[in-house]
Amino acid sequence: MILTGSQIKKEVEKGRIIIDPFSEEDIETNSYDFHIDNVLYTYKDDVLDPTKENELVELVIPTQGLTLSPKKIYIGKTVETIGSKYFVPIIKGRSSTGRLGIFVNITADLIDLGSIQKPTLTLHVVLPVKIYPNTKIGQVTFWVAK
Amino acid sequence: MILTGKEIKKQVKNGNIVIKPFDEECIKPNSYVYHLGDTLVEVLDVGDKKRKPKTRKIKIPQKGYVLEPKRLYLGTTVETIGSKEYVTSLIGRNRIAKLGMFLQITADLGQLGKEHRWTLEITVVQNLRIYPNMEIGQVTFWDTKGEKNIGDVEFYATKNEPFPSQLFNQKAK
Repeated sequence: MILTGSQIKKEVEKGRIIIDPFSEEDIETNSYDFHIDNVLYTYKDDVLDPTKENELVELVIPTQGLTLSPKKIYIGKTVETIGSKYFVPIIKGRSSTGRLGIFVNITADLIDLGSIQKPTLTLHVVLPVKIYPNTKIGQVTFWVAK
Repeated sequence: MILTGKEIKKQVKNGNIVIKPFDEECIKPNSYVYHLGDTLVEVLDVGDKKRKPKTRKIKIPQKGYVLEPKRLYLGTTVETIGSKEYVTSLIGRNRIAKLGMFLQITADLGQLGKEHRWTLEITVVQNLRIYPNMEIGQVTFWDTKGEKNIGDVEFYATKNEPFPSQLFNQKAK
């Protein structure tokens, strides 16, 4: 079962879901919208190797926006600290980001029960896209565990 | 909990789920197969806060249309789909995934609320020919926990054509 927006709010109030900072304006009917932190990382090398330390380059999203390139993977995180010991979070993009050709995560949308942190976003774009600081880039859903 | 195909059929009959047109042959063990509408929008340039996006409309001919990699396409479902009781999730069909199509790109989750023809976010890994009205994806329905507080109709849920992102002009909050 997926939690409705009203239930997410209730569980945040009871402390059974952590979303910090939390704003009622970001509650959707059955999810909660999160924002992108303004620090992103991209890889220095073109060929990546999972057995090696891949060198990262830090990028800060300026007020006038940062253009993401289709040739790169960008590692980011949410502004919000998110997690729960009671409900399983799954992160998704939003319609507004998907329609810009932005992948908010690549293949791994599931978060462990009990992991409370700023979820990592693995961003990839189909076309060059400019992103701005604090953009509402994705949404998190919470699922009942059995 | 996810609804089984039989339960989807039951909930369509009693009006808790809308799928129009509805065809029993499209019911799978735990999903319903939807079809690709014949109009695509290719997003040539996504624009930004100052520039408008550039798009072009493509009518998919009966003989098919070849999608190319590194391009962004928006399509729609043929079916009008929605539910105020069960949360929808739209994904591509396995047989299409095996040919390298991403559908959706990132937003497979629907919100409870008004039924409409859903915009599909599409990109491909290799050239791929698509046809109007082909079986392209499946929709699943999920039980909810908690009070359903369905407010105003979500902006995109008022659109039945492939509709570009409004992130930069904030029409959709």
